[in-house]
Amino acid sequence: MELNPPLVIASGVGGMGEYLKLIDPKYIGAYTLKTVTLFPKQGNPPPRLFATESYLINNIGLENIGIDAFIENLNANQYEELFEKVKVIFSLGGDNPEEYKLVAQKIATYEKYFEAIEVNFSCPNVKNGGLNILSDLFSFKEVLIYLRKVLKGFLIAKVGVEGNFVENVAQIVKDHGWNGIVLINTIRGLEVVEGKLIKGGISGPVLKPIALRAVYEVKNKVPELYVIGSGGITNEKDVDDFFKVGANAISLGTAIYKNPQIVEKIAKYIRRCCE
Amino acid sequence: MENFSLTVKKTFEVTRDSFIITFNEKIDFAPTQFIMIETPSVVRKPFALGKWFDDLAIGIQVIGKGTQYIVKQDVLLAHGPLGRGFVPPSGKGAMITTPACLAMAFDLHQRYSCDVFIGSLERLQMEIPFKTVFGNEKFVNLLKSLNGYDWFYVVGSDQMEKVAFNLLREKAPVYLSFNEYMACGIGACRGCAIQTKEGIKHVCIDGPVFRGDLVWN
Repeated sequence: MELNPPLVIASGVGGMGEYLKLIDPKYIGAYTLKTVTLFPKQGNPPPRLFATESYLINNIGLENIGIDAFIENLNANQYEELFEKVKVIFSLGGDNPEEYKLVAQKIATYEKYFEAIEVNFSCPNVKNGGLNILSDLFSFKEVLIYLRKVLKGFLIAKVGVEGNFVENVAQIVKDHGWNGIVLINTIRGLEVVEGKLIKGGISGPVLKPIALRAVYEVKNKVPELYVIGSGGITNEKDVDDFFKVGANAISLGTAIYKNPQIVEKIAKYIRRCCE
Repeated sequence: MENFSLTVKKTFEVTRDSFIITFNEKIDFAPTQFIMIETPSVVRKPFALGKWFDDLAIGIQVIGKGTQYIVKQDVLLAHGPLGRGFVPPSGKGAMITTPACLAMAFDLHQRYSCDVFIGSLERLQMEIPFKTVFGNEKFVNLLKSLNGYDWFYVVGSDQMEKVAFNLLREKAPVYLSFNEYMACGIGACRGCAIQTKEGIKHVCIDGPVFRGDLVWN
């Protein structure tokens, strides 16, 4: 996968391209869409967010329109402007291995639109699928095998640090012919706000050392895998650190909530460093 | 919608914790639209756009680190305007709000000639052109006395809005501005969901103003 710059907008954060209204696309290497599942999901009941200076807890629950509506929109050229402006990564999810397979079957015809297909094995905010798949290696491998057979392009697994040692997961991903891995997704967390429990996935600066270690371990064990480092990147030093431990690209997520122009700043920095 | 910076012209202290901040810049916006302002938090915070006489303004209640930060800045980074502009039904309307929302109230009053009523827990530190009552009891009495209006628009804390909604709902349609936590403000993150009688809606793109009876029983 050739990205210029090697900077990806993370799935979930960027929605279905909405941030192109605020970010100049020439600074985006690829834009990952919000995860699409087999059936529409209305997401988790509110409240869904809680933020501090060092982290955000989100409990969105993969709200999305479902693969059939997505394909309908695709056929109606609803995402045409998005495809014209940036390289797009499709994010695939499901509630169980069968759903992952069915979504893959449905999107296979449309692979040409996407730079890569990212498969979400790590959402912590759904009762089924997401992180649950990764914690069951039998199901995980079953999905890896099937999707590799159905999808011909660049295939990326998005994993977290829960469920299994991330370097072992990366080895399995590579052994099944997949091309890349996104490290890491949010981590399950909980905060008590005015006596109420807010559960969800933690993102933001607090994740950086955890994500960095994940990239380091994976690159040491499986250097051939294309690694997109993701977690707590907010400045140039963070970018340097991720590239130093072997990341092939970096992904910006929560940082764009604080200031969408971080993308331009980081992209210019990467280009300056790479020249 | 765009990224921009706003330079502070003047900060007015309305009460000990409520302020009006006016800006040198002008922005075209629809009534009740908002901007997301950068704070030390990992996400920006939404603030309703309004006017204070001829100037662009926001109202703000200092309740935590983010709002403390905002009132001390000379320049604010933001994006917007966001949300759907509120277009009230025809007829005579009344807006009921708090000192923290004076800028939005001023704008609405200018655009729709609606009456504005302010409920405050403490005396104001500046003159304002709207009827103001002090204390919870007088606020409730005020709400009970409001008759002859074709619509109400209420903006304040969840608790204040619930009290007002329950006292006004039999008189005319009550519109409420919802305060759900936001991360993006532009419909990407889906974080500001609220459960309505028509299913999940998102405050940033479907609101921030909803008819009360669409959301609350």
